[in-house]
Amino acid sequence: MHHVMLDHFAAQDTPVHRLDPAAKTLAALALILATVLVQRDHLLPFTIVAAALAAYYVVGKVPPLYAAKRLLIVSPFVLAVVVLFPFFEPGQRLWAVHLGPWVLSVSDVGLARAAHLGSKFVLCALTALGLLATTPFHGVLAGLARLRVPRAFVVQLAFLYRYLWVLLDEGMRLRRARLARDAGQGPWRVRFRSHTSLVGVLFLRTFDRAERIYWAMAARGFDGRLPAPAVRKMQAKDAVFLAAAAAIALTVLLLDRLLYG
Amino acid sequence: MAERVLELRDVRYRYPTGAEALDGVTVDVGAGEKVGLVGPNGAGKSTLLLAIAGFLPAEGHIRVAGHTLTASTARDVRRHLGLVFQDPDDQLFMPRLGEDVAFGPQTMGLGPAEVETRVAEALEAVGMAGCEDRSPHHLSQGEKQRAALATVLAMRPQILALDEPTAGLDPRARRRLMDLLRGFASTLLVVGHDLDLILRVCGRAVLMDSGRVAADGPAEQLLADRVLLESHGLELPPSLADRA
Repeated sequence: MHHVMLDHFAAQDTPVHRLDPAAKTLAALALILATVLVQRDHLLPFTIVAAALAAYYVVGKVPPLYAAKRLLIVSPFVLAVVVLFPFFEPGQRLWAVHLGPWVLSVSDVGLARAAHLGSKFVLCALTALGLLATTPFHGVLAGLARLRVPRAFVVQLAFLYRYLWVLLDEGMRLRRARLARDAGQGPWRVRFRSHTSLVGVLFLRTFDRAERIYWAMAARGFDGRLPAPAVRKMQAKDAVFLAAAAAIALTVLLLDRLLYG
Repeated sequence: MAERVLELRDVRYRYPTGAEALDGVTVDVGAGEKVGLVGPNGAGKSTLLLAIAGFLPAEGHIRVAGHTLTASTARDVRRHLGLVFQDPDDQLFMPRLGEDVAFGPQTMGLGPAEVETRVAEALEAVGMAGCEDRSPHHLSQGEKQRAALATVLAMRPQILALDEPTAGLDPRARRRLMDLLRGFASTLLVVGHDLDLILRVCGRAVLMDSGRVAADGPAEQLLADRVLLESHGLELPPSLADRA
């Protein structure tokens, strides 16, 4: 079965693809940190981040539509919160609708708040997506390891990435097998129960697989310690890229503090 | 018989549920021998592989490449036994093929240069040279199976033990794997229902049923014995059945 991969465009060969994953990971973290720390409701800092990202996407040949689609997938969780802000933040009432005894109103402060948080979310998500779209996942992992992220955490991520698709395939097969015999009739309770047992079966299969994977690892000498990934040396172009990212992050923060403070 | 690389004497194992899985298995395998382990479902073939690798607390005497299996020598035994599991998705657990093939040599404590040589050599041997950067989930089933083989070849084991290596492969991928196995010089232990594969690759066949060795002999004779095979729930390999 085929899944659309997070690192679908990561196999390309462009100047940003050739950069050191550790440098890219660090640059992405700097940009995300700066974006999150912006306090004023002003467009300029966000515009700078957006322009930097746009340049990165263009050089990395990542199609905007691809990024937009991924963004949609991760957005529901955050947007659900952002959408509520205009209604609950106190402030000057811009628009109101009467629903019987209740009044639903949109405030100016709330609206600005929602726009502010929404922009932050979109920019941070696009930064992370940009990193993943231009760096193979094992590169990101090696980068994280280089940045002294605890080994256990990096290993967890590696296994998650390796087996998420296997798990999805298994879940999909189980679901299809159930649907193939679901004639759509009968008491809903019976049909609902078959859904819950599906989750149970999936859990048990995962458990068995974990044991087999452990055996496969032990058969090749695993003793609880995973070998460290090969370390790559940072080159001049990586340092330049990192410096540029740091400069952008600092500019954003300074603008936010000095000009509007 | 040449130097023995595998010695099994009266190996017994009972599942935690009480069912007898291995009921006194005695087999010797000489260096360079290619042995096919056949038998109906539940005969104990895969269980025997797990027992040889020290994953099950089996009774009896197991000796692999000069190491008698005990709890403390399991690691030495596994170092000489290249065990390839049936589902390559279990075998390939690292995010990148190169890292996966390097895993064994690294746990053996080899230096980076030697590890790199071994990885390149093993991938070359299975016809996947230069695939170090590919992710396991982007490989086809045939490629996964050959990659799984490379992960143990890189450890240069004295015995290669494969569990159903052709399960789920299309004819072309199966033939390719078959040719690959025929070319290997190391001792080979192949478990499976693909009797044609065993007939073509192995000189000797061991028939197991109900946890016991039911027959042991030259593959050409044993796999051509219709009465024997059918009495243990098997059939003649298709290539021989056509001729009959």
